[in-house]
Amino acid sequence: MPVNSYKKYISLLAFVAPAFILYAVFLLIPTLGGMFYSFTDWNGLNRTYEFIGFGNFAEALIEDPDFIHSLLFTLKYVLFMIVLQNVFALGLAVFIETRSRSKGFFRTIFFMPNMISTIISAFMWTFVFAQVLPQLAEKTALTFLDQSWIGDPNVSFFSILIVSLWNGVGYMMIIYLAGLQGVPQSLKEAALIDGATPFQTFLNVTLPMITHAITICFFLTLNGAFKVFEVVYGLTGGGPGRSTQVITMNIYEEAFSNNFRYGYASAKSVILFVIILIFTFIQIQVMKKREVEA
Amino acid sequence: MRQNKAASLLTAGILTVLAAVSFFPIYLALINSFKSQGDMFRSFVSLPTSISFGNYAEAFDKINLLGSTVNSVIISALGIGGIVLSASLAGYKLSRTTGKLSQVIFFLFIASMLVPFHSIMIPLTRMAKSLSVQGSTYGLAIIYIGLGVNMAIFLYHGFVKSIPRELEEAAYMDGCNEYQTFFRIIFPLLVPITVTIAILDFLWIWNDFLLPLLMLTDSESFTLILSTNTLFGEYNKDWSLILAALVLTAIPVILIYSFFQRFIMHGIAEGAVKG
Repeated sequence: MPVNSYKKYISLLAFVAPAFILYAVFLLIPTLGGMFYSFTDWNGLNRTYEFIGFGNFAEALIEDPDFIHSLLFTLKYVLFMIVLQNVFALGLAVFIETRSRSKGFFRTIFFMPNMISTIISAFMWTFVFAQVLPQLAEKTALTFLDQSWIGDPNVSFFSILIVSLWNGVGYMMIIYLAGLQGVPQSLKEAALIDGATPFQTFLNVTLPMITHAITICFFLTLNGAFKVFEVVYGLTGGGPGRSTQVITMNIYEEAFSNNFRYGYASAKSVILFVIILIFTFIQIQVMKKREVEA
Repeated sequence: MRQNKAASLLTAGILTVLAAVSFFPIYLALINSFKSQGDMFRSFVSLPTSISFGNYAEAFDKINLLGSTVNSVIISALGIGGIVLSASLAGYKLSRTTGKLSQVIFFLFIASMLVPFHSIMIPLTRMAKSLSVQGSTYGLAIIYIGLGVNMAIFLYHGFVKSIPRELEEAAYMDGCNEYQTFFRIIFPLLVPITVTIAILDFLWIWNDFLLPLLMLTDSESFTLILSTNTLFGEYNKDWSLILAALVLTAIPVILIYSFFQRFIMHGIAEGAVKG
């Protein structure tokens, strides 16, 4: 029925067009455009540009110490975030799940920071790190609080982690809580009757039952952590110097506040994209295998 | 039995300490925003000796609170409305249509969910400039629609599968055309997933920083977050003023959180599981 399939085609396009046009203009074309420009020496001002093959990529990965540093700094951050964010979120979820009356209260408190914009959180914590903690250290005996929380890159790495965790743990906690609710009570009771300790029950019954939630939270943390920008921007601004600069910030600086080397900055964006793709692919492959059905 | 009691007390203790630590920065911002500069530097942790709203009056003015809030509301409302409308149409149709074309389009939407914003921000800024949508709140809202439809389509696509086809067929029999069927029969059934999508998109658009930073140039069109960022840059030693601005910026989301907590948490869990 050619007439019928023609009508079907038109109707499909009519329904999809509004979303697809905006998507194409603001997401698809920029994505392809970025990839295209990454092979050119376009500087954003001139109309003309030339193809330079993988020249930008080679320069970024070999001759640009600032970019390489930002890459390694981000990788370190991602590693810490994946472990700490999930340990904290799962720990909180498990603890909260055991409470009966105070469950709602704790859930509310721990999720609240997530509602506040990341950049606002970073400003709030700048106050804590730069003003409150030094004063507390002076007035009390807690001298370990007197650190150069923002000025010393070795310490500010952890300041950045603290703010990121404060802001992000609540979100993962909600997903873990939903996962924990899907674990049948009868299974846990059966394990306890069989003589398992609560910890063994958690390890051998609960954990395998929530692997789907774990996969999701690892995926979300991995993706979010590679794209970290606001926390660092608000807290250290990448400084002192460029010592706490993350990849996204390095790209931003290259494109918008440095020398407008759009082609070069695009190559860096493509590198970020490829890195995220590779890590995500590996993570999903490894974790999907471990999932079990309830 | 006694062991159980001890374990329960221990978890309660740990949770309470962590909750206090977690709430500490908010508490500090709140109490210090009512203090004078001198009162503050005597002690950051003690309660204010006298409550003054002077900081708030100044911050209210400096971040153009009313104007900025209106901008944020316009951008979020138009963005969410546009995403819900266009993505529900597309997600529904893509889910109901078989064939190569429909599959390819759906794949294009889904694959783009992995593209990090930072990888497109340079060409996107150029694109916005050449379409002259840069610098306007309405233009920004349109960009949010373009960036947000992929996830919404993904969620609608999955949800539509749970709606029996017989409903549409009955509507066709009764003489509805395709659009009538969609808006009268299907769309009302999509409300649960629409709430999830609206919440996730609200949290994203309202709290977003980088895209407004790149797109909005005139302080008249700044969002709440952007105005506070500017204030932070200009008055970075005047902490009582900054804290008041931070509290003012956080109030709308905290209010929304207290009213819609259940929906928000459900929305996050739902959105994640479907993803």
